[in-house]
Amino acid sequence: MLNQGARRAVLHATSLLGFLLLWWLVTHFELVRPLFLRGPGEVWDAFVRANTDHPISAGSDRMVRGEQNYYLWEHLLASLQRIAIGVGGGIVVGVPLGLVMGTTWLGTLLEPYLNFLRSLPPLAYIGLLIVWFGIGDTSKIWLLFLAAFPPITMATISGVRGVRDDQVNAVLSLGASRRQALTTVMLPATLPEVLTGIRVAVGFAWTTVVAAEIANGIPGIGGLAYLAGQQLQTALVLACILVIGLSAIALDLGLKSLEKALVPWRGKA
Amino acid sequence: MSSTHEHEVEVAGVRHSFRVQGRQVPALDRIDLTIQPGELVTLAGPSGCGKTTLLRLVAGFMQPSEGAVRVGTRPVRGPGIERGVVFQQPTLFPWLSVQRNVELGPRLRGRSKQERAETAHRYLELVGLSDVAGHRPYELSGGMQQRAQIARVLANDPEIVLMDEPFGALDALTRERLQNELLEIWRATGKTILFITHSVDEAVFLGSRVLVMSPRPGRIVLDEPAVFGTPGHLVPPEEIRALPDYVDLRERVRVAIQQREPAAGGAPA
Ligand SMILES: Nc1ncnc2c1ncn2[C@@H]1O[C@H](COP(=O)(O)OP(=O)(O)O)[C@@H](O)[C@H]1O
Ligand SMILES: [Mg+2]
Repeated sequence: MLNQGARRAVLHATSLLGFLLLWWLVTHFELVRPLFLRGPGEVWDAFVRANTDHPISAGSDRMVRGEQNYYLWEHLLASLQRIAIGVGGGIVVGVPLGLVMGTTWLGTLLEPYLNFLRSLPPLAYIGLLIVWFGIGDTSKIWLLFLAAFPPITMATISGVRGVRDDQVNAVLSLGASRRQALTTVMLPATLPEVLTGIRVAVGFAWTTVVAAEIANGIPGIGGLAYLAGQQLQTALVLACILVIGLSAIALDLGLKSLEKALVPWRGKA
Repeated sequence: MSSTHEHEVEVAGVRHSFRVQGRQVPALDRIDLTIQPGELVTLAGPSGCGKTTLLRLVAGFMQPSEGAVRVGTRPVRGPGIERGVVFQQPTLFPWLSVQRNVELGPRLRGRSKQERAETAHRYLELVGLSDVAGHRPYELSGGMQQRAQIARVLANDPEIVLMDEPFGALDALTRERLQNELLEIWRATGKTILFITHSVDEAVFLGSRVLVMSPRPGRIVLDEPAVFGTPGHLVPPEEIRALPDYVDLRERVRVAIQQREPAAGGAPA
């Protein structure tokens, strides 16, 4: 008998193979027009081409670099960098803001505004950001920051409010000052929720950045996907979509294991 | 002890009520109580009579609606390092190992790493937890967590120890062991202890003075010295429990606890 993990792996591998086979059959017998859907082989070729130097056209000896002068992984990295800066800013602002809002009357005062901001789809205000900061990277990073900090702030607030009174009472009874109570109890007790907030923010920022790169988004994986679509390079679009989806999953898994490493007590105490 | 000792606990004319759905619900009626340094005062009473409320007032977690709590001559305005609190629910910090929990008090006061480790080892050994010092609290059983919590309080060396039904959730064997350990610690250190319990036997067995509280709103209806746990009384526990004096006091405490004020609405008994 196989153990449960191995059985699951076999199941996933089988379903993936089945999916690839179906995809290959549909495109091989042209059940869908090639303009709309390309086969797995062509998508793989487009993926490889986008990551290497290749002739500008068949037979020419002028070489170009990847797609739009960047390798695919550089497009991906550019998008990830925007997210890192946007979410990084969201953490730097959101966590202290959440701590203050969770412990003082500022929470009651500012929460409606935060809720309003959070309920807006970020693309609703990209126009305004472009007017303020131009079409370049600055407006995109602001967009990601504005998308990322509300969920992080909200998570921090709910974390702070969820800290058991007696945990604070316990440390104060051990002789802690207010500041020591903050650093030795409030912060670590809030950490699990903060990490969840960051995970939500990263997911949100990822969907936002891909969409925001429609405007002037090269280098950028979303920008490349959009441009490839405009040029009817269906195989490249599909390659980008796969990279976007797999990156999102990898990001989430990475953050999940970070959570596991940093808060091993989650759900146990 | 004619003049007010520095660590005498004085509860003077304390009433306390909670606001529940807009109504004031009295929890403590009128408590006047002085605890001399070195006393082991046990407080028994039916559940919901206000024992925890009284302890939290002494701990400084809240202010009484009426009256005052003093330690020595200083009014209690908040938690303080001289009043250690053992909570009914073990309130250990899951982000710290058992040892780091126990050395938290000394750490907050900036004691050296070596000194802290020595203190922690001494108290972990006292409560029989040396072999799990490196574990996280959630990896311990409820009884072990409670012992770790007691070690943390003792390692901070407070003059006054407030304990809220610390052995309430333990099995009979562990409970009996910890009762004996507590008596030994008390004999060795001469600390002032306020020990809350809903067990008549525990109150009589441990106390150098036994208090009984009436059902809500709580008042002290019995206040008697007990000698069974005091130094010099080194008779084995089984024999103590068979002493006529012991049986006699236990009966008086039992009757006092079951005594009910005539209900205001005149409900039949
Ligand atoms: N925070 C609170 N809010 C409202 N009522 C409370 C609160 N704490 C305790 N009470 C009420 O006060 C009474 C005494 O509670 P407590 O001191 O916990 O009793 P005990 O420890 O003797 O079981 C109970 O009726 C309880 O419902
Ligand atoms: Mg209680």
